[in-house]
Amino acid sequence: MSEKVISIDYLARVEGETAIKINIKGKEPQELKLKIFEPPRFFEGFLVGRKYYEVPDIVARICGICPVSHMTTALRAIEKAMGINPSQQTRILRRLMSLSQIASSHLIHLYILAMPDYYGYPGVQAMLPEFTEELSRLMRMKKVMNDLTAAIGGRALHPVSAVINGFTDLPSPQALKKLRQDLEKIEADAVKTVRMVSELSYPKFSRKAEYVALKAANRYAIMEGNIVSSDGLDIPEEDYEEYFEEEQVFYSMAKRAKVKGRGSLMVGALARLHINFDQLSPSVKKLAQEVGFKVPDYNPFHNNLAQSLEILYGIQECRQILENLKLSPENNSYRIRAGEGAAFSEAPRGLLYHQYAINAKGVIEKANIVTPTVHNFANIEEDLRHLVRQNSGLPEKKIALLCEMLVRAYDPCFSCSVH
Amino acid sequence: MKKIRLGIFKYSCCAGCQFQFFFFQEHVLETLGAVDIVYCKMGTSGGKKEGPFDVALIEGAITESWQVDELKKIREVSRFLVPIGSCAVNGGIPAIKNIYPEIEVEKRVYKDLSVIHSVKAHPVDEYVRVDGYVRGCPMGERELLELLTSLLLNTKPSFPEYCVCVECKLKGNICLLVAEGKPCMGPVTNAGCGALCPSHGRACYGCWGPVSDANAPALAKKFEQLGLAPDDIVRKFTQFASPRIEFRKGAEMYE
Repeated sequence: MSEKVISIDYLARVEGETAIKINIKGKEPQELKLKIFEPPRFFEGFLVGRKYYEVPDIVARICGICPVSHMTTALRAIEKAMGINPSQQTRILRRLMSLSQIASSHLIHLYILAMPDYYGYPGVQAMLPEFTEELSRLMRMKKVMNDLTAAIGGRALHPVSAVINGFTDLPSPQALKKLRQDLEKIEADAVKTVRMVSELSYPKFSRKAEYVALKAANRYAIMEGNIVSSDGLDIPEEDYEEYFEEEQVFYSMAKRAKVKGRGSLMVGALARLHINFDQLSPSVKKLAQEVGFKVPDYNPFHNNLAQSLEILYGIQECRQILENLKLSPENNSYRIRAGEGAAFSEAPRGLLYHQYAINAKGVIEKANIVTPTVHNFANIEEDLRHLVRQNSGLPEKKIALLCEMLVRAYDPCFSCSVH
Repeated sequence: MKKIRLGIFKYSCCAGCQFQFFFFQEHVLETLGAVDIVYCKMGTSGGKKEGPFDVALIEGAITESWQVDELKKIREVSRFLVPIGSCAVNGGIPAIKNIYPEIEVEKRVYKDLSVIHSVKAHPVDEYVRVDGYVRGCPMGERELLELLTSLLLNTKPSFPEYCVCVECKLKGNICLLVAEGKPCMGPVTNAGCGALCPSHGRACYGCWGPVSDANAPALAKKFEQLGLAPDDIVRKFTQFASPRIEFRKGAEMYE
C-alpha cells in the first residue's frame, strides 16, 4: 500500500505557530495532527491575583489582531460579575469598535494571509508590482477601519480608553462626521473585495459542520445574545460550560473544545452567516446572491467569502450607527463587588468566551478563556481528514498545499488559542 | 538604494508587532518596498531561516529553551538584531507570571504538565547582544520607521530616551498625577506613545517599559501617599516589565 507523509513544520501566513503532520496509507490518513506549538503564556494562570481593572488591558495582549474582542468580552464578564449595567452609549461604542476591528481583521486575512495562495505567490510582498490596485484598495479600507477603532478606543491595536462601565474619553462630533464620510467612500472598495474574493477558485469540498454563533433578536449579534447552533442548540451565555467542554491534547499547546455528547463545531464568519444571514442588510444579501453565496454552505474554504460579506456589512452598519450617534459624557462610577461573570462575543474568528470570579477586594480568583480557534480546532482536524481522503491520489506537495489552504481558510489564531 | 535584508521572528507574544509592521502602521507599502523579506513566517511562505540578515527583528518574550537556541543562531547571521515591542524588549505581559511560582501558574491552566516546557519569561537581551530597542506595545510606528530609514541611510537611529511626562508637557496635558491624584506611571515610563493614555484622560500604565533613569522607588512612595495599598503598588510595577530592574525596585519596596 502506498504511503505518503505530509509534514509542515511551521505553517506560514497564519497568526501564531503551528505544524501539520499527516501520514497517509493508501487512501486513509492514519495519523493526523494539528500540532499547535505556540508557546503558552498562561494568561489564566497569572491573572489570578491581579486586580479586575487590570484585566481588560492585559487580555488585549492575548492577540494583536483581535485585542478589541478580548478587551470588550473581559469588560462585559467583569461587569456582569460585579453587577454593573453599562449604558446604551457604552454598548453602542463597543459595538462600533468591534465591528471596525472585525472588518480590519478580515482585511488582513483576505489580502495578506489568504490571497497569495490563490494567485500562486509566497506572500503579499511578491504581489506588490502586479496587484497595485488591489493593495491600494486594501490600504484605503484598512485606514478607515483602523481610524474608527482608534477614534473610539484611542488606539487601533490595544485600545486604551475602554474601561469598566464606559470610556475615559469620547470622540469629537467632527471626528465622527469625518469617519462617516470616510466609510461612505470605501463602500465601493468593499463591494469590489466581495467580487474579487468570490472569483477565487476554491477547492471543491463539503462536510457538514455544526455551526455555532451568537444570535440576537433585533440585530446581527456581536455581543449579547444566545448561543445558537445549526443543530438546534439555543442557550443563554451563562450556560456555556454545561453544553461545551475543553480537553487538553498531548501534541498541542492549545486545548480542543467540543459540544458535549456531539463533537466538533465551527465558529467564525461562515457560521455567523449561517445563523444570522437574515439580519444582514438587504444590499449585502443581494450581493451575496449575485456572487453565488447562499446558506447552508458547508465548504469551509468559503469562510473567505463570508468574511468579505461581513466587511461590507460592517462598513454599512458602522455608518448607520454613526448617522444617529450623539455622545455625551457619562458618570462611569461603580462599586466593587464579589461575584462571577461570563460573557461572549463574536470575535473576527468566531465565538470568544471569558469568565472570571472576583472577590470583594476586586482580586481575580479564577479566569477561564476559550477562544475561537479552540472552538474550531477539532473541526479543522476533521476537515483535514476528509480533505486528505478526497485527494489522497495527488502528489504529497499538492496535498500539503491544500491542507495549508484549508487551515488558512479558518483564519486561525494560534496565539489566541494557546494564550 | 539597496534593500534591507530582513528577518522577522516571533516568540511568546500576541504577534501585534508583526501586525503593526504589515498592517496597522501608515506606511505599509513603503515599508514593503524598502525591504527584502528573507524570513517571516507570518507574512511569507518559504523563506531562508538561515539568513543572512541585515536586520533581524525579534518579537515576543523568551519562554522556552528552543527559542534561546534559535535566537543565538539568528544573532550569528545578523548584522543587527533588534527586539521589537514590550515582550521582546522588557518581557512584557508574559513576564507577569515571573512574580509567582511557575508551577502554580502552569497548574491553573493545564492538567498534564509533562508536555509543558516553559521557563520564566525574559527579554531578548537576557540571552543575546542586541543593537537597539524598538519599544512599545505594540511597537511604536515612529520607532519602526526611524529604524528602517536609518538602515537605508546607514545612519544611527534616534529613539526617545526620556519619560512620558515630557510628551505630556509638550502636548499641554494637565498632569494626572499632580492635579488629579491618579497613579500615573508616566514619570518612569519610556516615551514614544505620544502620552497616549493621559491624552485620553487615563493614567499611564507603563506599557512601553521603564525609561533608563527611572526613579521607581520615589514614584512608588508617591503612590503610597495617594492611598494605594502595597499589593496594588506591586501590581503597578509588575504589569509590563516585571524582569526590568528599574521597575523591580518600585515593586520590591512593597513586596
